[in-house]
Formats: sequence, structure tokens, C-alpha cells
Amino acid sequence: MVTSILLIEDDDRIRSALRLALEDEGYTVHEAASGESGLAAFAERPVGVVLIDVLLPGIDGFDVCRRLRQDSDVPIVMVTARDESQDVIAGLEAGADDYLAKPVNAKVLAARIRALLRRAKAFAGPGSRRARLAFGQVEVLPDDGVVRVAGDEVHLTKTEFRLLVELASTPGRVFSREQLLETVWGYDYFGDGRIVDVHVRRLRVKIEPDPAAPRHVLTVRGRGYKLAGS
Amino acid sequence: VTASFATGALLLSMALALLTHGLASSYLVRQREASTVRQAAVNARLVQSALRQPGLPVLATLASLEGPAESDQVIAWNGGWASSSVEVGPKQLPDGLRQQVLDGRAGRQRFELDGESRLAVGVPLPEVRGAYFEVFSFAELEATLRTLLASVLAAGVVTTVAGALVGRWASRAALRPLTEASAAAAAIAGGRLDTRLPPDDASLAELAKSFNAMVDALQTRIQRDARFASDVGHELRSPLTTLAATTEVLAGRRDELSERGRRAVDLLSAEVAHFQRLVEDLLEISRADAGTLDLVLEEVRLAELAVRSGPVARARLRVAESPGAEGARVRVDKRRFEQVVANLVNNAVRHGGGVDRVAVEPAGDRPGRVRLVVEDRGPGVPETERERIFERFSRGVGGGDRGLSEGAGLGLALVHEHVRVHGGTTWVEDREGGGARFVVELPSVPP
Repeated sequence: MVTSILLIEDDDRIRSALRLALEDEGYTVHEAASGESGLAAFAERPVGVVLIDVLLPGIDGFDVCRRLRQDSDVPIVMVTARDESQDVIAGLEAGADDYLAKPVNAKVLAARIRALLRRAKAFAGPGSRRARLAFGQVEVLPDDGVVRVAGDEVHLTKTEFRLLVELASTPGRVFSREQLLETVWGYDYFGDGRIVDVHVRRLRVKIEPDPAAPRHVLTVRGRGYKLAGS
Repeated sequence: VTASFATGALLLSMALALLTHGLASSYLVRQREASTVRQAAVNARLVQSALRQPGLPVLATLASLEGPAESDQVIAWNGGWASSSVEVGPKQLPDGLRQQVLDGRAGRQRFELDGESRLAVGVPLPEVRGAYFEVFSFAELEATLRTLLASVLAAGVVTTVAGALVGRWASRAALRPLTEASAAAAAIAGGRLDTRLPPDDASLAELAKSFNAMVDALQTRIQRDARFASDVGHELRSPLTTLAATTEVLAGRRDELSERGRRAVDLLSAEVAHFQRLVEDLLEISRADAGTLDLVLEEVRLAELAVRSGPVARARLRVAESPGAEGARVRVDKRRFEQVVANLVNNAVRHGGGVDRVAVEPAGDRPGRVRLVVEDRGPGVPETERERIFERFSRGVGGGDRGLSEGAGLGLALVHEHVRVHGGTTWVEDREGGGARFVVELPSVPP
């Protein structure tokens, strides 16, 4: 199946060039030159992956990302003009699954997209490790992609979901950021640990009774994260 | 400053004390001598007139004489002697004076008796063919003078201490603005550009105003420079993204091109990659200059980090851990440090004919540190170039020994900068048996 990508980028030349390169990698590419037209295009025709440039005229990339996230867990990659923490974190906080700094290397971008799609698919098919995971008030159904907190279903993005399932696969075991980047994001050794931190933060907001004093997803200083043992 | 002031004050006050004492004592002694001489003359006349009246006992005459208690009188008369005290008799008088006076000439002489300084004054009594001596003791005067000396010395010491304290306070007060200014200047030199002097301090107001104005200007200038480099980098990013993506598209169709087209695409690909690295390095170094690197520090095993970094991994190089550095761990920003390793390896490939050895070694005699070394078998780096090659855009060894434009870049400068912000040092030395040996020394994490 050919995966379609929505490319929201205001620079004509970059958009055309990335389109050529991504098409060479085997994707169908739809273009949008502004945040507004991007949102409209997505509403009209959902795609497999959305690529958003941070600097857009009108509503900016962060806003586009937040609005998409309101009713979709489509994999989102932010393309930042700079890789300073501020932009990276803001993008991830807005709900992006991953980020890339310009100048974007099309091969790297394609690899990231493949990794995102791989894990997005992992939930669609059968073969997940366990039928049901539960801790505290939280109940996880990996096969159905459903998380319930105190009986109410909570909506997680695919990345957040995978992160939770990974941690919950072995409660009490400490996962380093690298391990999580490798298993959840499909990264090599040099992924950015901040991606993990931001996703853990978002996950806590959704499943912890008090995100500031987490009881389930715990930080192990200097080593990584773990799910509290039962 | 305080100590030298105090020493100066001490010397000065001691000198003044001694001078005062000297002047006072010589004045007092002269006074006393003069009054003794006058008194002796008066007494001599009295004694002479008394002696002329026969029947008056000499001793009674002596007793009736006026004079201070500390003087003794001796009279020579009619070939005999009489003395007012047992302590002082004719024998105790200095010989020369006694003879001189008996010969008819008045005189005086200082001498020592029983450890006391005394003055003997002799007056001849021609009418009775005798002589009158008065011996005056300076004991009391000297005691007085000693007391005087002690008190002026004590006053000197007190003055000195008080002077030192006042001087210390005054110099502190006077130097404080300078001390603060120099502390602020040091802070600014150390990179804390937001340091300012407090403008509300009255004693500092003028200095603070001009100092702060200077730092403002400096900061603006530095930020403008850093921002310019960063802006240039950012401006280059967009066209570079287009260039890189289209070049990849072309490279992907390499087989469809003619021989000449292929050569052109290969050149284009290589230079775009180089360009991309250059822009990334430029951005990175401008971030370092602006102090906005925000490092993400993580604890890792140095050898593992090195072995996983791009070029090392691609070339499947081994990274040995020398004895004493097994399992050595460091706390670094992995992405930055991977760049350090990559740049060192790329440098060895470009200028040293390829990497010969990458290893983690103990830092010799420096505990708590560990070294990463990258060695090649190239021509080495001459002594004079060893600092310069870590500067920005310095050409490699020998200037133009490369066929490519690559390398005239920021690679080693970035290595130097990154290692520095990790609290480490970088240098290059001769490899045993020829070649260059680049060393990065970092603080290690205790096991």
C-alpha cells in the first residue's frame, strides 16, 4: 500500500524538492503551502503521515500540530528551522511524534517516516505481547489500542501508547532513554533523549492522578524510566 | 597596603618618639646641670662665709644648705674633708676634678658612681683655702626620663595600631569600587555578559555608569556577531534543504545519466554534503559563542560512544580500552560528542591517510580523567601548527595538500569548543613511529 504524506511547508522550492525526494522513496505526497490549507486538506483527505514546517505564515506549525491532534493520532513530524531546545520541545509538546532540523536530509526523513509507520502499524495487526495490562486505576488493551483510567477511555497518540505498552511490558524494569528510542521510535544510538522526556510528560498528564507526583511512570535519576511494580 | 602603611606609621612614630625623648632628656639634663651649677655657686658662697666664722661646725653648715635631696656635698677645708653623706666622700669624687678645684679652678664633671650617673660641681673657696663640691645624682631624673620614654613609645604603638585600623578602613572604602569593578570585569571575561555594577551605590556611581555602558556596548557587539553567524546559518538552511533534496533525486537517477552527467552529479553530491556539514558546524559554533548550546548530558561508556559514532561505525573500527581505562564512563552530550569523534576521524582520513587507531586510555598521572585518542600514520602536525589547527577555518597541515576544498572548515575548532564545554582539553602530539595523535581528555565519572 502506498503511504501518503501531507507536506505543510510555505517555501515553494523546499516543498517541490522534498516532494521529489519523498516520491523517489515511494510515497505519495500532497502539498499545502499554509497551516490553514494544510488543516483543510487533512480534513478532506486523511493521510498516513503529516510533515509540518514550524515557521508558517498565519497559524504556525505548533498550532497546526495541536489542532490536528485534537481529533487524530496521525504520526506527525515537525521540521524546525533550528534545533534549539525551545523549538524542539514546543513541537513535541504540541503533539508531534518526532522532529527534524533543517537542512533536512531526505534519506533521513524517509527513514524517520518509515520508523513512524512501522510502529503505527504494529498496533493494527495482531501479535502484541499481552492481552491486557493493568496497574492502579489504569487498564491497557494493547491489541485494541485502548487505555482506560478508572474505567474511562483515555485517548493516547500512537507514540504515547507504544511508550506505555513498552514500559508496562515489564513493570519495575528500568528502561534507558536509548532503549526507549530504539524500541518505541526505531532510532539508532544518537536519538534525542528529549523526545522521550516530553512524551513521558504527556503520558503522565493523561494517566496519572497527579502528573506532578507520578505514581505509575517513574523517573529513575540518571538511568531512565520505569513503570512502578505492582 | 595596610601592612606597609602600618609599618610606615610605626617607624615614623618610633622615630618621633625617640627624637622627642632625646630632645626632652638633653634639655632636662642641661637645665638640671645649669641649676646645679647655680645652686653649687650659691652654696659655695654660703659655705665660705660660714667657714670664715670660726666656731660654727662644718656639718651644721652643710645641713643648713639648701638644695635638692638628691645632692650630696663635700667640703675640703683646712686640709681636711667633710661630707654630708656616707655615700659620697672625697674619694668618690673624680680625681681630675678634685685636683683642678683644689688648684683654684672651678669645674664640673659627669661620672658614674654605684651605677648611677652623677654630676659633680666643684667651686674653689679661696678665702678659706678650701673647696666646695656638690655631687648631684641623676637617678631620679633618669627614672623620669625612662618613664617619659616608655610613655612616648607606648603612644607611638597606640598611634600605629589606630593608624593601621583607620588606614585599613579608609583603603577598603577607597578601593572597594575598584575591587567590585575588577570582579565584574573578571566575570565578564569569563563569559557572563549580563554582569553589571550596581548603579545605585554612591561611591561607585560614576565608575558604574561608564563601566556598564562599556559592557552594554560589548554585549551588543558580541551578540550581534553571534547572531549574524547564526542568521547566516539559518538563511542557508532553506536553500540547502532544497539543494540536498534535489541532489538526492539526481543521485538516485545516476544510472540514467551520461558519463559526464554522472561525474557532475558525484561532484555535486560531495559538495552539497560538505556544504551541509559546514553550515551545521557554523550554526553549532555560533551557538557555542552565544552560550546557547544547552547540552543534554548523559552518562555513557566512552568506548561505546566512540564505536557508535558515524564514521567509526561505518568503517567498522575497533575502539580499544587500554589497561586502566576499562569501562571508563563520561558524562557528555552524546550528539555533540559523536560529532567530536566524527570530526577527529574525518580529519585523520583527510590529512593523516586514514585512522590507524582509536582508543580510550587513562590520563597518565591525572586521576579522575580519561582520554580518547585518534591516531593516524600521516605526516604528523609540526610543532608550530599544533595550536593553530584548532582555530576556525585554519587550513590543514601544509596548506594545500588536499585535492578537495574540504577540511578548510570548522571541524577541529568545533572539537576544541565541544570538549571545552564538557570540561575537557584537546591537543595533538606526535604518534610514536610517525603520524599524528589527537588527544581528548575529559573528566571521567567515578565507577
